[in-house]
Amino acid sequence: MSWFSRLLNTIRPERLDDELEAELNDHLARRAEELAAKGLQSEDANYQARLRFGNSTAIRENSRDTRLVSGLETLLQDVRYAFRGMRRSPIFVATALLSLSIAIGANTALYSLIDAAVLRPLPVPHPERLVTLAIPNLEGSGNSLPAGGESQSFSYPFYQTFLKAAGTAAELAVASFPGKSEVRDDSSTARRHRVNHQMLSGNAFQTFGITPAIGRLLSPIDDQHRGAVPFAVLSYDYWQQHYQADPQVIGRTLYFNPEDDSQSQPFEIIGVAQKGFFGTEPGRLVDVWTPVVMYHAKALEQEGWSFFRIVGRLANGVTPQELQQRLQPSFHAFAMATVERNPTMSASVTKQLAAMQIRVHFSPNGSSEFRNQFARPLWIVFGVAAGVLIIACSNIASLLLARSSARSTELAMRVSLGASRRRLLRQVLTENAVLAFLASIGGGMIAYLTTPLLVNALSTNDGPVQFVLGIDMRVLGFCAVITSAATLLFGLLPALQAGRVAPMEVLRKGSGQTAKLRMGRLFVGAQVAFAFSLVVLGAAFLFSLNKLVSVKPGFDAKSVAVLELTNESFSKPQQHALVQQLQARFAQLPGVDAVSAACWSIFGGSFWGEQVFFPEGRKSEREELFYGVTPRYFQTLKTPLIAGRDFSATESSSDTWVSTIVNEAFVKKYFPGENALGKVFDHSSNDKRIHHRIVGISADTHYSDLHTPATPLVYVPFDGDMRFTMYVRSHLSAGSLGRLADTETRELGHGLRVTNIIQLQTLVGESILKEKLLAGVGGVFALLGLGLAAIGLFGLLNYSVTRRTKEIGIRGALGASGGQITLLVLRELVVLLGGGLSAGVVLACFLSILVKPLFFGVAPIDVSVFLTAMGLFFATAIIAASIPAVHAASVDPLIALRQE
Amino acid sequence: MAPSSKNSAQTALDLLVLTVLERRGPLHGYGIANAIQELSEEALRVEEGSLYPALHRMEEAGWIAAEWLTTENKRRARMYRLTRNGSQQLLSEHERWKNLTGGVARVLRYA
Repeated sequence: MSWFSRLLNTIRPERLDDELEAELNDHLARRAEELAAKGLQSEDANYQARLRFGNSTAIRENSRDTRLVSGLETLLQDVRYAFRGMRRSPIFVATALLSLSIAIGANTALYSLIDAAVLRPLPVPHPERLVTLAIPNLEGSGNSLPAGGESQSFSYPFYQTFLKAAGTAAELAVASFPGKSEVRDDSSTARRHRVNHQMLSGNAFQTFGITPAIGRLLSPIDDQHRGAVPFAVLSYDYWQQHYQADPQVIGRTLYFNPEDDSQSQPFEIIGVAQKGFFGTEPGRLVDVWTPVVMYHAKALEQEGWSFFRIVGRLANGVTPQELQQRLQPSFHAFAMATVERNPTMSASVTKQLAAMQIRVHFSPNGSSEFRNQFARPLWIVFGVAAGVLIIACSNIASLLLARSSARSTELAMRVSLGASRRRLLRQVLTENAVLAFLASIGGGMIAYLTTPLLVNALSTNDGPVQFVLGIDMRVLGFCAVITSAATLLFGLLPALQAGRVAPMEVLRKGSGQTAKLRMGRLFVGAQVAFAFSLVVLGAAFLFSLNKLVSVKPGFDAKSVAVLELTNESFSKPQQHALVQQLQARFAQLPGVDAVSAACWSIFGGSFWGEQVFFPEGRKSEREELFYGVTPRYFQTLKTPLIAGRDFSATESSSDTWVSTIVNEAFVKKYFPGENALGKVFDHSSNDKRIHHRIVGISADTHYSDLHTPATPLVYVPFDGDMRFTMYVRSHLSAGSLGRLADTETRELGHGLRVTNIIQLQTLVGESILKEKLLAGVGGVFALLGLGLAAIGLFGLLNYSVTRRTKEIGIRGALGASGGQITLLVLRELVVLLGGGLSAGVVLACFLSILVKPLFFGVAPIDVSVFLTAMGLFFATAIIAASIPAVHAASVDPLIALRQE
Repeated sequence: MAPSSKNSAQTALDLLVLTVLERRGPLHGYGIANAIQELSEEALRVEEGSLYPALHRMEEAGWIAAEWLTTENKRRARMYRLTRNGSQQLLSEHERWKNLTGGVARVLRYA
């Protein structure tokens, strides 16, 4: 008989049973007939036949076992039994399933995000040999890069030198940071749309080991034809979605927006990259690649223009250290050349550059801005989710214990009837596994639905964060692993407890419960400890967010819209005129209160830093922030001008003496205790000194984030550019503002056009996205943990009250008042909370210190946070305890004592 | 069930069943039981039922195959027949049996 038929027999044992029955009955009938033919009466014949046959039940069992997969059959029996049991206690099952589903779902959702953003290697052959180059950040250079961090931006000349220096040790390729571009193809129905665009060196596809799905890819030879290889390669997904996988796409023409990277000439689509390849940056799925040598010439020649990542593949047997040693001499030469070119560079920066070492990192999973920003908070939230899972598991464990005391009679009966303890253990574990399995399905669905929402919540104006999510083997595997871990976590102890059941004691009623209660206390204590530390973390994150939100930015972001604009005029005067005309026109619009233009928006990630020189030979240690704005900027953003005046319409940044407004922080730093109005300073630009005269002093404002205190800031007149930003304070909705803007820009001509409208408030909000994530998810999980712990407390106290009904009855009969009995329950609550909370405080301190870099305005161990958490916890605990306490107080001694 | 763990009574029963099926062709369980009793002149009379687990075990091992057939008087019965595997098994079991009994006989004769 085949395995298949054995399996069939296992799943449907009734058929096998029937067949066996029929065969044995046939034998008995034949024997009886023969005996009857010899003259026996039919009754005697039947009896004799059975006698000669022997123990037919044993024989049937014996045969049965050989013909089915007996282990599996027991399992199926247990599973069926588990389902029957679950139907009997729907409330327990609903609570357990819901809490476990949420916990598994949260963990799986976060894991799938972390996997996509952090862990998963790039879908290329041998990702383990990919490397990325980096240099440590300079300290005190004004570009607000965090000290101790590193940068992966390099200029093209750097790359070319490195390429030679690396020789055969590694293939090095260059890749731009993926950005948004507007494109249009040559078909008649084409419309402009935004794509993620990345520039690559010709050898990049070869370096990564990517093959074309159709057509061809960029090739190493392309790099030698600067400006003459207008080729574009599409990603597989973009080809599928935008061109419905039409192979005719090869040879079509793609037009980029003129202002986007100056790639105004038509590009020919030459091919589609292999399925699954999305570029080098998890978090940004690239749609179109073009050759880096088509970028504007200046970007390829200037050593200071660090626009590119350098990625590479080590040759077999070469270590990152070996590559580093090959690259270091040329890197050092570059650094020293930079020092020579900038005689004004401060001594500390010069020293750092001289000692700077190029770094070579393994980067099997690519490089990602999203990861730099969110990896840490995501891991923390993941840890919090794990805490929720632990709480959910110990919650279920305590519920199971309470339930198993209700079942102890059944289990004792089964032991007395000869069930082996192993069999009982197995059965209880099976029940738990069934529960966990159902929860994992629920959790998987929750994860499937919530992960995209999570990704959405982390997206900014800058461009949506995109990941290859989807339920793959890694995520399913993770889900399975945590489900089995959960089963063991909540199921093993209660199962062992069930296996240890002593029939005599149970059937005699009573004892044996003490151990169970002790274990219940352990589980509830664990829940309290974990839930408390989650509440502390959640509270700390909420406090941080609250502190951040209440930071005064120095401007009023409410009802200010930020319009990003582009135009196609190339002369400076014309650009200046366009900005002025547009500002004047906007100011006339109904509903608009104030308008101003600027080179770019604050809180948008753009910087301009300059070292500042004072007449007496004094110069700034670090680069200070410069920002170009038109008149009425301070009025539009409601930033007070403390002294002096605003810019006038006739002032320009090309005046001999540039009228300049500085903020208070600048005054405090460079002119402490003096009247700064009328003071002068310089900055240098291409070997020329630009002279500034201070005409106004503004209040301090935050420039790019709410976290760091306001820094010195220099405002200069803005003369227009190909791209600029308008601030519009109005009561108009984004929609009507957009329509009005479209009309005005069209009338002004010169290709003037709005590319994006966003509220300044949104931009400010996006700068605290990390804190919102931590506070939001952390807060929700903390509440979840708290709720579960409350259920656990309630369950245990309720069980203990039920168990002590008789005792309470006696106390009542002896004259104890309701209040005294309530105290009895509360005393038990205090004991329960005491142990759990002391463990919880230690755990919370430990966790807080671990994540303190993510706190804002909250001490690592913050008294107000701990007190709030404690208060919240006690309030919840009292609510959870009140029902059993009231129940205990209302026990009628007569009824209690008459039980049994 | 691994053949090595079989005791000699099982071996004997297997050998008998295989032999009967080889000599007489397809038979139902009742027929096999009768044949064994007949041939062994009632000397090997055991509980008839114990034949069935053995039959099912041999079926599982692939030595014999079974199917439900309609026999005389339109009754349905589960008929067993020898498979090719079974024939080979019969040869080797036969050999083993001869060795075993030969050994025992020598001991009885010379001890």
